[in-house]
Amino acid sequence: MRLGSLALALALAFSPLAARADLNALTEAAKKEGELTWYVAHYTSEGAEDLGRGFTEMYGIKVNVVRTTAQVAYQRLLQDIKNNQTICDVFSSTDLGHYARLKAEGRFDKYVPENTPKISEAFRNFDPDGYFHTTAAGLVVLTYNTAKVKAEDAPKKWEDLLDIKWKGKVSTGHPGFSGYVGTWVLSMKKLYGWQYFDKLEKNKPQIGRSINDTVTALNAGERQVAAGADGSTLFSAARGNPLAVSYPSDGSVLIISPSAIMKGTKHPNAAKLFMEYLYTIEASKINAKHFGIPLRPEVPSPPGAKPISEIKIIRPTVAEVDKGIPEVIEQWRDTFGN
Amino acid sequence: MSIAAPAFDPVPVRPVRASRFDSSWLLWIAIIAVLLFLVVSPFVYLVITSFQAERTGDFTLSNYATAYGRARYVDALFNSLKLGAASAALAGLFAVPLAWAVARTNMPGRGLTRMLVLATFITPPYTGAVAWILLAGPNAGWLNRFYMMATGAEAGPFNIYSFTGLAVVIALYSFPYIFIFTTAALELVSSEMEDAANILGAGPWRTMRKVTLPLALPAILGGLIICFLEAIALFGSPAMIAIPARFNVVTTQLFQFFGNPVRVEVAAAYAMPLLGVTILLVLVQRLIVRRKGFVALTGKGGERRPILLGRWRWVMFGYAMFVAALAVFLPYIFLVQSAFAKAWGRGFLLDNITFANFRFILFEHATAAQSVINSFVYAGISATVAVFLTLGVAYIVARRLIPFGGVLGFLCVAPFVIPGVVLAIGFYAAYAPPPLALYGTALIMILAFTTRFLPVGYVNASAAINSLNPEMEEAVRVLGGSRMTALRRVVAPLLKRNLLGAWLLIFIPATRELSAAIFLYGPNTKVASVMIFDMSEEGNFERLAALALVLQVLTLPLLYLGQRALGRDFMLRRNAT
Repeated sequence: MRLGSLALALALAFSPLAARADLNALTEAAKKEGELTWYVAHYTSEGAEDLGRGFTEMYGIKVNVVRTTAQVAYQRLLQDIKNNQTICDVFSSTDLGHYARLKAEGRFDKYVPENTPKISEAFRNFDPDGYFHTTAAGLVVLTYNTAKVKAEDAPKKWEDLLDIKWKGKVSTGHPGFSGYVGTWVLSMKKLYGWQYFDKLEKNKPQIGRSINDTVTALNAGERQVAAGADGSTLFSAARGNPLAVSYPSDGSVLIISPSAIMKGTKHPNAAKLFMEYLYTIEASKINAKHFGIPLRPEVPSPPGAKPISEIKIIRPTVAEVDKGIPEVIEQWRDTFGN
Repeated sequence: MSIAAPAFDPVPVRPVRASRFDSSWLLWIAIIAVLLFLVVSPFVYLVITSFQAERTGDFTLSNYATAYGRARYVDALFNSLKLGAASAALAGLFAVPLAWAVARTNMPGRGLTRMLVLATFITPPYTGAVAWILLAGPNAGWLNRFYMMATGAEAGPFNIYSFTGLAVVIALYSFPYIFIFTTAALELVSSEMEDAANILGAGPWRTMRKVTLPLALPAILGGLIICFLEAIALFGSPAMIAIPARFNVVTTQLFQFFGNPVRVEVAAAYAMPLLGVTILLVLVQRLIVRRKGFVALTGKGGERRPILLGRWRWVMFGYAMFVAALAVFLPYIFLVQSAFAKAWGRGFLLDNITFANFRFILFEHATAAQSVINSFVYAGISATVAVFLTLGVAYIVARRLIPFGGVLGFLCVAPFVIPGVVLAIGFYAAYAPPPLALYGTALIMILAFTTRFLPVGYVNASAAINSLNPEMEEAVRVLGGSRMTALRRVVAPLLKRNLLGAWLLIFIPATRELSAAIFLYGPNTKVASVMIFDMSEEGNFERLAALALVLQVLTLPLLYLGQRALGRDFMLRRNAT
């Protein structure tokens, strides 16, 4: 028995026997399928690769990790669907709207992971019908380069980014690519109206694509403050880069990112097993290593990250995201030029 | 479709002398069918699709209404035209003085300059764009940092994320086209004409302005047009630079139409101006180059002596090295720095050096190493198919084996007027959906690459065939061999070197093709260029630089091979044809 499966067996030791038998059968069937393809916008590239590798080490099943921004992953998926191809087995976007639409079109296979009761309660049963499930969570917060900005000068609330002193010094991602950025834009619009972005435009932000692009922009000293993701920023800071986060007083934007199994997948068992895997302690540990919020309560929060209970959180509803993100992408393009 | 397989397998053909029927006819028919499949059908589909309603397929003009119904979309069109003009003009400034100095003067380091132009030529534009982000990022770019260090200023003057920045980067990696055209033309200008000017009292500069340059003007214009077309068809550099610079061009807008929701029909309609402009300008270019001005008058008769520049030769050399610094030295220094850096912004510190980026690319990333393999496999197959296909066509045309053979030749060069992005949309519309359902397969990538590089293959193949005297084949025929035997035993062996050259001329650019690949790849058929583009999404410049360098290093042995077989700077010389 490999070390990984031993660990899984231990992790499962307290679960009901029936479920364990099911998982064993699932594991066997999944191994026969041998591989799966994972379209993923959660995590950084490194984090996604690490998680994929963890699964392979545990079960010997290859994971084709296709890590892109949320909208690019969705675009790819829509093209697959349009051409009657099922390439993607597990779809992990950061834009909730994708799930609302795909579910309505009947694109998902229903599967509720056996491991669901083991994750923190806040993350359970995200979709009451059981088609998609929380597999990652993160925050959009204010981030800054500590070599250029002192903590007391760092922005404290979202409106601080509009201050003229940050002209030419702000970095963001692009809602047309990133689900995190899209959700953030929607939340800002809800709080302050679109004027927020008319004003932000005057500060000439540098617009990347992924939200993780802000990390690069800050690290390089290209920009000094940003609307960034807590996870990728803290991960980079832990490796010695001059970065810090500032939890905005008007609310950090919580992004719940689900995953779902695509209908017609050629690797149904591997896909199910992968969903189970994302709820294991191992996966949570890998996630925490990359400064994601661990789903399993046993795994401690990454160092330097405030526990979520101590942070003021804002979060649009699924319905708002579904309708709102396509709108704000268009508005963004009109305001910022592309 | 059965004809998709390379039709040129040398199937042993029995000579059937009695009948006039030559089984090579089958081969000709197969070649025609393949060309229809590769060139005509995607093009027709593209046009039809642009008039089709999304779900029903009914005739409609609404795609055009959508495509041109918003100011932002129309702006993107004009941005592309402006970008093309600016890039071409800048490329002219880089290329023409260099070409003149290398071809006509005694500037020192002429061979070195040629080599550096070759190095520029084999640098993919998107790799150059990434390097220039490192160099001229508005705050952290190295040029700005050096400027701030030197002057103590608060901010540096350079901003890559601007229209000018994009135009410069595109110009830097497309000026070799003008250089190639211009040197080829200048090498034909005989010194007698310049002597005449000198005798009549003109100095070297005046001679250059009044005699030499006008003689080369058609070639320069031809090169400028190619640069213009290259600039408006590029996808990678605009996507990396224009998005942060906050403007759109046609290609990035086309990519958005492939977004959410997927609107292939609108994309097809929106691609039409790009296609129209390209066709028009290629016709103009052909007209200009064909007239060749007066250069051809002297043929090869005249004597050519280098113009002695005196002290100015060092000034020219300085300019050549300046251009080389912008296109080669600086970009590669900082690409290498970045590839070996933990964080590129931290600079050349010892504790900033790591091999982790290469390790990640080659061993840890699930698909990066595979993407490089994909690039080489697809490019290899495409180059092979294209070389043999065009050899067949060139042979048919040269030996007049079928009536209207010229049409086939035309089909082979036609893809030249189709920008890669547009070609990809045509392929997508024609072959991605059922019945062929090639979406996401390696085959659709290979077919698209083959089509894209047919013109290169054809130009080389027909030049090679025309250099063969038909008597040799006739000898085979007289002795009872079939035409196939003649092709296999006489033509192919004689043209071995040319074929290898043509193969490399297709293979090398195919390994870095991005404009078509970005629309056609699937998760399992990602190629290195797409991988690099994906990595730019997260701003992972360290790893991206590592992957780009791996790709460049893998190209070097091929270049060496080509130079051994075909002589120094074969890529430059042969692209001039």
